[in-house]
Amino acid sequence: MSSLKQIWAILKKDIVLELRTKEMLISMFLFVMLTMIIFNYSFSAERNDLTKFGGGLLWLAFTFTSLLGLNRSFVHEKDEDCMDGLLLSPIDRSLIYAAKVLSNLIFLSIIEIIAIPIFSVFFIKYDYTPKLGLFIIGVILSNIGIASIGTFLATMAINTKTRDLLLPILMLPLIVPALWAAVTISGAIMGGPYGHNIAVDVSNALKLLVFYDIVFLVVPYGLYDFVIGE
Amino acid sequence: MELENHLTKLKDNDIKNEGAGTVEISVKDLVKSFGRRTVLHKISFDLNKGDFLSIFGPNGAGKTTTLKILSTLIAPTSGEITVSGIKLTDDPTPIRQKIGFISHNPLLYHDLNALENLQFYGALYQVPDLNKRIDELLERVELSHRRYDLIRGYSKGMMQRLSIARALLHKPSILFLDEPHSGLDPHAVDILDGLLDDIRPEHTFIMITHNLGKGLSLCSAAMILDGGNIVFYKDKAALNVDEFEQTYRFIVKGENE
Repeated sequence: MSSLKQIWAILKKDIVLELRTKEMLISMFLFVMLTMIIFNYSFSAERNDLTKFGGGLLWLAFTFTSLLGLNRSFVHEKDEDCMDGLLLSPIDRSLIYAAKVLSNLIFLSIIEIIAIPIFSVFFIKYDYTPKLGLFIIGVILSNIGIASIGTFLATMAINTKTRDLLLPILMLPLIVPALWAAVTISGAIMGGPYGHNIAVDVSNALKLLVFYDIVFLVVPYGLYDFVIGE
Repeated sequence: MELENHLTKLKDNDIKNEGAGTVEISVKDLVKSFGRRTVLHKISFDLNKGDFLSIFGPNGAGKTTTLKILSTLIAPTSGEITVSGIKLTDDPTPIRQKIGFISHNPLLYHDLNALENLQFYGALYQVPDLNKRIDELLERVELSHRRYDLIRGYSKGMMQRLSIARALLHKPSILFLDEPHSGLDPHAVDILDGLLDDIRPEHTFIMITHNLGKGLSLCSAAMILDGGNIVFYKDKAALNVDEFEQTYRFIVKGENE
């Protein structure tokens, strides 16, 4: 119970700071919108139906948007030298990780809630609302994967001079399985009716995401004490 | 020459506290290395409950590193450290609950107001009856009227006063002070000294300072660190201020030459 209160204290602080400064959300929103506008101009010139590529384009935009947000996970702690304050407090380091994963998850989800309907209007001709539940499950599981590994690596990168460069270099190879699964699920659902083979692919992708999320939540949770200290 | 002999005598870095009180902080053969560079060479000292140790020394002497290790911010390379009877290598969480840390850096979020900052830290330390405690401390540091103002708009002195409230929020029994008077206006210095006087009897203090007058007037023992070694350690009762000042200036001058 006390652990939950400590997690909530960090989460609430991150949310209040973000609502007050809007630094992370505005940069993520502008980036995702700009990406979609560029997609729109690039592909509409060829008059292609992008429905089949929807999943790939969507997660291309979200991957780089999430990197922008993750790089700023500890910006207040770093810029205002509050990291020592956090580390001096009697809180298990793993709880700091849990709180930071949750705040990153929330900020990424807020951007996606705005961006997905706009993306669907621009690029998707097929009405996928009957499978919206499955689509949302896929997005949430993918977000958990990105936020869990991303938060861990962002913590490792925080004390380096090249943190903006280091995070993508470390993170992009590691999220390939989650991205494959996310693109498979979103692509299948946005791409129109699908047969048995694609249904099997979607099912396998969901299983992979669950496994990936468990591994990349449990391992960093256990190792966090070693990366956040010195 | 006399001074050099005196310094050599202390090179074994082993200081025994011969007071009668309960040992609150015990440091034995503490070594800290960053890569190949060793910044603390087997230093040892004990502090009793209620002691006030002032640590002096030139920049890079290992003062802040010592304080960071004692406050569990960084791990020692080797050595045995006990705080309130708890070994630092065991679970450090209960040690953190006993420690308050005031540095020249206020450790406050600039886009939160004073109340939000204290509520945040209070929640992390699970302070009982938090709002009452915050009111009490804001009153004491004379910031009650600015409780809803963002820290971004505070002066350095106001930030430091709030930082004192932050450090005392959970009623720690040990206070670490890293150059706490640095950059403070005289009013803030008075508030800080007044607060330290008020809580003095039931607390143990370690203060890093370059301010000889302040450090010597507050302390019950004085230490000089140089190059990761304890080169001077004396209880205040046995301390000759002139001798101390001479030693300190000799060391600092030597470092700067």
